[in-house]
Amino acid sequence: MADVLGVVFRRFATGTVTSDVIVPPHAEGNTLVLGDVNISRSVLFLAAVTAATDLGLKVLFFTQTPFQSLPVSLRASIPGLKLESLKNVKFVYVKTLKELVEDIASLHELASQAASVPSLIIVDSLDHFSHGSRVGPLQDDLSPVAHVAALLHDTAAFLSQILQNRADGQSLCRIMVSFQSECEGSRDSEELLLSVLDRYLQVRCTLEEVKRDEEAGLNEWQVYLSVMCPSLVQQWHMVLRAGGALEFRPVFGGEQQIVDQPEKSKQENKRCGDS
Amino acid sequence: MFNKLRKAFSVCYAPHKLAKKKNIRRRCGKHEHVFRCIMGSSLLSVAEQLLKDLQRTYSETNQIPDDLLIALRFVFGQCALQALDLLDQRSVTCVSSPSGRKAFQVLGGSGRLYTCFTSCHYCPCPAFSFSVLRRNESLMCKHLLAVCLSQAMGLCQQEQVSDQQMTHILSGQTEASI
Repeated sequence: MADVLGVVFRRFATGTVTSDVIVPPHAEGNTLVLGDVNISRSVLFLAAVTAATDLGLKVLFFTQTPFQSLPVSLRASIPGLKLESLKNVKFVYVKTLKELVEDIASLHELASQAASVPSLIIVDSLDHFSHGSRVGPLQDDLSPVAHVAALLHDTAAFLSQILQNRADGQSLCRIMVSFQSECEGSRDSEELLLSVLDRYLQVRCTLEEVKRDEEAGLNEWQVYLSVMCPSLVQQWHMVLRAGGALEFRPVFGGEQQIVDQPEKSKQENKRCGDS
Repeated sequence: MFNKLRKAFSVCYAPHKLAKKKNIRRRCGKHEHVFRCIMGSSLLSVAEQLLKDLQRTYSETNQIPDDLLIALRFVFGQCALQALDLLDQRSVTCVSSPSGRKAFQVLGGSGRLYTCFTSCHYCPCPAFSFSVLRRNESLMCKHLLAVCLSQAMGLCQQEQVSDQQMTHILSGQTEASI
């Protein structure tokens, strides 16, 4: 997914982009998107459309909330976009975590239908699904989240094997999941949930709002793209304009400082499961 | 096989006894350097290398030497012995379906069936949720370690299921007690 995000940033960049999103060769590209629910949804949708139209990938988009119309940002970002362009994107509306898990668990049954195997699986607002799965205050909220994240990881690994056997050379199935932290929960429980997701989604894309100008109709975010093992942080700047267009530009040439070797070792030990 | 080794293993695992038993240090051989490197390396990388060493040794000799058992205990803690017990009981099954999808099922001591995945570490048991996910105290639970060991040693049972049954297994709908 991180490579798809690179295509998105380059496609909707202001000016010429000379550098690209860097994903270490041994890192998996499955991505966790953290940020406000609305902007995350727009980024997910932009990624789905870009993957379907620019890369010709089959996309599965799981969400609780049906799209009544194209997100505003898409109309301005991709003028003249026709619904037909979205034929490679299949939207799956599921209400509960149980339904989501069952749908993902059944994806292996597509293996015999080569044309239907997705190359990108997107789950919008996983936190909304996991909130609904709790039955009481003492319910363990880590195992259900870990189960769906691990199932997504395992499903993507299996579908990648199917795609590798195809003649057209598309060899990877990627995962992209958005998650918004709880407003009422403690920071510790939020960090714990994120640490669980980090086990199965190696790339984190954090959308941090830095400016909201209602008069000018301009909202700005910093986009931090970090890869777990080995440690690498890249930074982009994202602007949502009054007309709804999303634009990106790299910060410091598109790759913020690669972490120094001693710090890299510490972070690598911390995030690679060193107890 | 495992009963005999387990007896030797249970005497040797305690750190203070390790320090005192010269014969253990002598038997550690080439694996002794592993203990020295543990402090400076990622525990996960060490665990992976240990499992590879075990796979190679077991394929050559059809047994696990004491020093590898000691290393297992050092790296994985108490669940090492519990995982070996599960292996003894042939509790790990690799299920596969016509689509080619695979998963592992481990029959726990309580009679519950736990489904683990092939590409990443996950187990629905309470120990995984608490010790691994919540406390980050352990690399894996006994069920996951039993899966890793059974793969390394070729001791998995095999079972074929339909694609629909595989969907139920993956979604966690088959974890009721037997």
